[in-house]
Amino acid sequence: MIKQQFKGSNKMNLLLLVALLLAMMVIPHFAKSATVALISRIFILTVYGMSYDILRGYMGFINLGHALFFGSGAYIAGILFTKLDNTFGIFILVVLITIIYCSAAAFIMGKIVIRGGSVIAGAMITLALGEIVRNMAERWRSVTGGADGLPFSIPPIFRDRLHFYYYALIFMLVMTLILRQFLLSPTGRVLLAIRENEQRAKFLGFNTDKYKMIGLQVSGISAGLAGVMFGVFNRFANTDLLSVQQTLNALLITLVGGTGTLYGAFVGSGFIAFVQNTLLNLRSQYPIFERWLLFFGAMYVLVVLFMPSGFVGLWQKLISEAREKKKGSAVDAK
Amino acid sequence: MTEALIKTEGLTISFGAHKAVNNVGLALEKGLFTTILGPNGAGKTTLFNLISGLLTPTEGKIYFKGADITSLSPIQRVKMGMGRSFQLTNVFPTLTTYENVRLAMQAHEDIGYRIFTNHRKFSKLNDKTDAILERVLLKDKKNQPASQLSHGEQRKLELGMVLALEPEVLLLDEPTAGMAIEEVPTMIDILQRTKDSGTTIILIEHKMDMVKQLSDRLIILVNGGLLVEGNPEEVSQNPEVLAAYLGGGVLNEVSS
Repeated sequence: MIKQQFKGSNKMNLLLLVALLLAMMVIPHFAKSATVALISRIFILTVYGMSYDILRGYMGFINLGHALFFGSGAYIAGILFTKLDNTFGIFILVVLITIIYCSAAAFIMGKIVIRGGSVIAGAMITLALGEIVRNMAERWRSVTGGADGLPFSIPPIFRDRLHFYYYALIFMLVMTLILRQFLLSPTGRVLLAIRENEQRAKFLGFNTDKYKMIGLQVSGISAGLAGVMFGVFNRFANTDLLSVQQTLNALLITLVGGTGTLYGAFVGSGFIAFVQNTLLNLRSQYPIFERWLLFFGAMYVLVVLFMPSGFVGLWQKLISEAREKKKGSAVDAK
Repeated sequence: MTEALIKTEGLTISFGAHKAVNNVGLALEKGLFTTILGPNGAGKTTLFNLISGLLTPTEGKIYFKGADITSLSPIQRVKMGMGRSFQLTNVFPTLTTYENVRLAMQAHEDIGYRIFTNHRKFSKLNDKTDAILERVLLKDKKNQPASQLSHGEQRKLELGMVLALEPEVLLLDEPTAGMAIEEVPTMIDILQRTKDSGTTIILIEHKMDMVKQLSDRLIILVNGGLLVEGNPEEVSQNPEVLAAYLGGGVLNEVSS
């Protein structure tokens, strides 16, 4: 009987998913162009959030230098489009170089951090590594444009906002499928084991350092690809994309959406973009919203206080409670 | 005399001035069920930590299957066929019972770093996992998170995880610690069957009925040092052991 219920809820989830997908496909034909842009942004940030969730939610690793992957993706796009040419061929090259670069960066980061340090030590070291990269981007003016940022033109195929919306949607769907598959693989399961109890995982014979390295690689490359898309979307890269603030954005996306859920990143980035947008719009009516960050911060405090496992966590809790109740009443009826 | 599976020579570890394990030389034979006894603080768990690689000895050497493993990591020792359980329950709490054992099985079967195949698709692993769950009597709890199991069930789960590794030698640190007394016989039963299947077992335990039933050999540790080693009868009549146990009430029970 339990199995049947389980199946039923799976079917419902699937229906919901299909409905959501259809909605996302038709929305741009009815919405304002500002909304289309906002949702494209949400799609890209979802991938960024998911890449962070792999580390924080599945592996139990706090990376405070995560933005270095994201920002580097945007910069690689910017630099190659400016220095070489803005064609689709170069875009492919950008993707390849981003994958190689992020893989190498994750390797170096992993070699420094993973070896037996505590979570806090790891957080501090990654923070420092992130700042090093940000500083390098700021100083290397001839290539990165320094603190002024790097505006660039993009391949014509990406210029139409409506088309780009669909590219962003496809990007998000493909990355979700890949990451989901990764987390369901035997390797992904070991990451969970590491989060739960690293010592036990070691005493089962898993080389936990190696698995953590794989997790960091997958996460770093995903973040880098999200960065490429973000750069193409904005046609601009600056050092903010490499900053701690940008890392915290990922942290907050997973926090609001729910850690260790993967899909939470979609909910989180959607909710944050929505609140941010609303607060900014309110500025023109009420002067107090000039200080909109105040309200933004208050929102985070409320979320952490009342929904420690985020929206998706809350949803799962409500569902399981409803199920328990159903079971309970069934027993009573007997 | 059969070949020694695990051998230690002059094994010592000091924490500051305190020698938790002091100059211990052991030879644990293949296929025998050895129980390590000793008062609290005698260094039994520390000895396990040294053998399994959680701690590095200050002095001395450890041999496993004739090879020097003193400087090998715990992971390498597990790969060589050493499995251990912990005194305090040590499982993956939010994962299901099934997944806990399946992960252990995955570690043992060494299917490599597959990153795009679904973990449910390895039918050999799934079958073997089911077999283990049946062996430790947790089949009907397989979809429950480990944290929701009773303490006794968690102990059985932990044993199941170690059994999944199919180790040549099994280091068990008080598998019945904190278990309800009614559950102890099932644990003895599981251990007896494991022993019969040819696994060498080294046990730390306080429950005398269990020690009596299972042990081929006893080792008594006192204050970090090896006091006596021998078969249960010999050991229980040793005057030093009686003195160490303040009157020896416990060990009289063993010989009776």
